[in-house]
Amino acid sequence: MTQSQTSLSQTELENQLKAIVGDDKVKTDPDSLETFGKDWTKIYPPNPSAIVFPKTTEQVQAIVKFANEHRVALVPSGGRTGLSAGAVAANGEVVVAFDYMNSISGFNAMDKTVRCGAGVITEQLQNYAEEQGLFYPVDFASAGSSQIGGNIGTNAGGIKVIRYGMTRDWVAGLTVVTGKGDILELNKDLVKNNTGYDMRQLFIGGEGTLGFVTEATMRLTRPAKNLTVLVLGVPEFEAIMSVLNTFQTNIDLTAFEFFSDKAMRKVVARGDVPAPFETEAEYYALLEFEAETEGHIDQAMELFEKCMEEGWVLDGVMSQSETQAQNLWRLREDISETIAEWTPYKNDISVVVSKVPPFLNEIEEIVTREYPNFEIIWFGHIGDGNLHLNILKPDDLAKEIFFEQCAKVSTWVFEIVEKYKGSVSAEHGVGMTKKPYLEYTRSAAEIGYMRAVKAVFDPNNIMNPGKLIDME
Amino acid sequence: MKVLVAVKRVIDYNVKVRVKPDNSDVDLNNVKMAMNPFCEIAVEEAVRLKEKGVATEIVVVSIGPKVAQEQIRTSLALGADRGILIETDEKLESLTVAKLLKAVVEKEQPQLVVLGKQSIDSDNNQTGQMLGALTGLPQGTFASEVVVDGDKVNVTREVDAGLRTVGLSLPAIVTTDLRLNEPRYASLPNIMKAKRKPLEVVSPADLGVEIKSTQTVVKVTPPAERSAGIKVADVAELVEKLKNEAKVL
Ligand SMILES: Cc1cc2nc3c(=O)[nH]c(=O)nc-3n(C[C@H](O)[C@H](O)[C@H](O)COP(=O)(O)OP(=O)(O)OC[C@H]3O[C@@H](n4cnc5c(N)ncnc54)[C@H](O)[C@@H]3O)c2cc1C
Repeated sequence: MTQSQTSLSQTELENQLKAIVGDDKVKTDPDSLETFGKDWTKIYPPNPSAIVFPKTTEQVQAIVKFANEHRVALVPSGGRTGLSAGAVAANGEVVVAFDYMNSISGFNAMDKTVRCGAGVITEQLQNYAEEQGLFYPVDFASAGSSQIGGNIGTNAGGIKVIRYGMTRDWVAGLTVVTGKGDILELNKDLVKNNTGYDMRQLFIGGEGTLGFVTEATMRLTRPAKNLTVLVLGVPEFEAIMSVLNTFQTNIDLTAFEFFSDKAMRKVVARGDVPAPFETEAEYYALLEFEAETEGHIDQAMELFEKCMEEGWVLDGVMSQSETQAQNLWRLREDISETIAEWTPYKNDISVVVSKVPPFLNEIEEIVTREYPNFEIIWFGHIGDGNLHLNILKPDDLAKEIFFEQCAKVSTWVFEIVEKYKGSVSAEHGVGMTKKPYLEYTRSAAEIGYMRAVKAVFDPNNIMNPGKLIDME
Repeated sequence: MKVLVAVKRVIDYNVKVRVKPDNSDVDLNNVKMAMNPFCEIAVEEAVRLKEKGVATEIVVVSIGPKVAQEQIRTSLALGADRGILIETDEKLESLTVAKLLKAVVEKEQPQLVVLGKQSIDSDNNQTGQMLGALTGLPQGTFASEVVVDGDKVNVTREVDAGLRTVGLSLPAIVTTDLRLNEPRYASLPNIMKAKRKPLEVVSPADLGVEIKSTQTVVKVTPPAERSAGIKVADVAELVEKLKNEAKVL
């Protein structure tokens, strides 16, 4: 359902929302509607009917109750850095923006937990942890804008998953307002709590379709010591997996990323950071580990030597300072932003790590055969089987035609994903962009259960309707 | 031609510096240390001179605690040939450093001495100049270009009004500025090779220099925190605040 089903007039709608949150916390000016109606995808024209900024869980509850009564569709909005159009309001919905629920409180040094409003920016939590001498390890390029509520909504992953897991692993407890308007305190921040269904997990990665996260207790950990970065030049894709295996069986890596030479050249061409070395290589692997002692460095060197001897690695560098570590990271982290100017077609897919090479080859083969003039850029969190496939739009091809042709590519790619028992969305969620392809990863029976679960929490289908699954 | 490069171990440029609670000093406990960025540029310049066939040997010297060997090893991995650590745990002032370097210069007889223009921890910007005075060698400070031409070196300096090129007869002293070059990464094969390069450890006493301190640190305080911004209602209020509070109008 969408807002068009409400019988309220626009003025009544605004007045009722204002009665809940106050006059200055409802916005309907064109700028706000445009800004808060879309996420990073920018495919669907934004068209919300109002933006409402609650400050408390009770206000969120009141909004949800009001929305149920008048059949008003709601879209929860975090930092709107989402890549699957999960936070898009294109059908007259009311956007619930958590920007004012951004306080951090209740730090507990013993439990190493901290209470966050849904609107706390990811980086704000990272900095807060640092001030306490601790570490919040979920990290990615959009951490300066994304919110904890959005991270939980998408179960965000990022660059340290290989060591620290996804957002899911750091949520100790949740306060949610369900689609029925109930406030639930889930898990009470316990480490051990085997008392039946862990409903917290349904809201993590639930994309706001069952209810809204208003507060979360997040876990923190000890900071990593002397993180050291290696960038290795690799002659062929298969060798990356051998390198991964060699290092991973001996060292607890905090990250293992890969990117192609084409991707790196584009980043270097921007002139912000230099290439790691002059030796030419088809692919690069970026490894990060804690070098607590000289012994750790020596061990990494030995493994590097072994990889050189085997011919898996052509050259490599090791960071000698934080600055160098950060600049090496930028070779990987700046890719997304750099290729944005080619209007790339993007897919975020995963398979189990052992199947990555044949999976990648099969996709590359089909795309190069069918569209020889398309440039493919690969990069991703390969340590956890997650690949970002990017196809750049050739300059002479109109955007519409390009995306039309890419729609065909999608079907091929997802058929291969299905064949390899992979995921059509590794970490960016389903939202609207991946909704048509959900069945390549989830069985019809599973999707049936998902609908049934949604109907329990959100009987009137007012919570982010049209995202993740359709209810009819 | 032999080139001597001085490198310093300092707090990593990317680390948020914290002051000790008693304001006696900067807190260096468990803090990441690295090579001073201007010294990285000095090493890079020496290596480029060697790659051009101008320099034949690069000797790198560091003065500091035992762990400063790490920065010497990095320099060796970047292309220096051998290292000297003048080991001391004492706090060092620029003049002491310059005296120690003078002793090394006398022993090694380099044609060119390359140093950073300053270190990012004490920001003194005087060691190169003091070394010039003590050795009587000509100096080209704030170098953005270094061209060796026979028995002369032309150093383009970044000065307030623009660029000034000075011709110095060798041997000479050069201090590096940011734009001189972009340092490379240490490659892993070279880091391994560096382990086998010679690294000599000497004490200040070996060089006949006594470490004396002429300064005492009175107090170290962090920069004042920026206070939060405020919203003004209108232009009149803004003007009023700029006049009476910020006192900029
Ligand atoms: C340059 C760039 C790099 C990125 N890299 C990564 C990466 O490495 N790994 C990764 O996982 N993602 C990555 N992303 C995607 C994105 O940053 C994450 O999905 C992030 O978690 C989204 O957070 P947000 O606050 O911006 O959420 P939004 O985009 O605002 O919303 C995301 C979803 O969560 C829902 N939602 C928002 N707030 C709430 C709430 N309070 N309660 C319930 N549901 C809510 C929304 O409705 C929507 O469905 C990247 C994005 C960009 C632009």
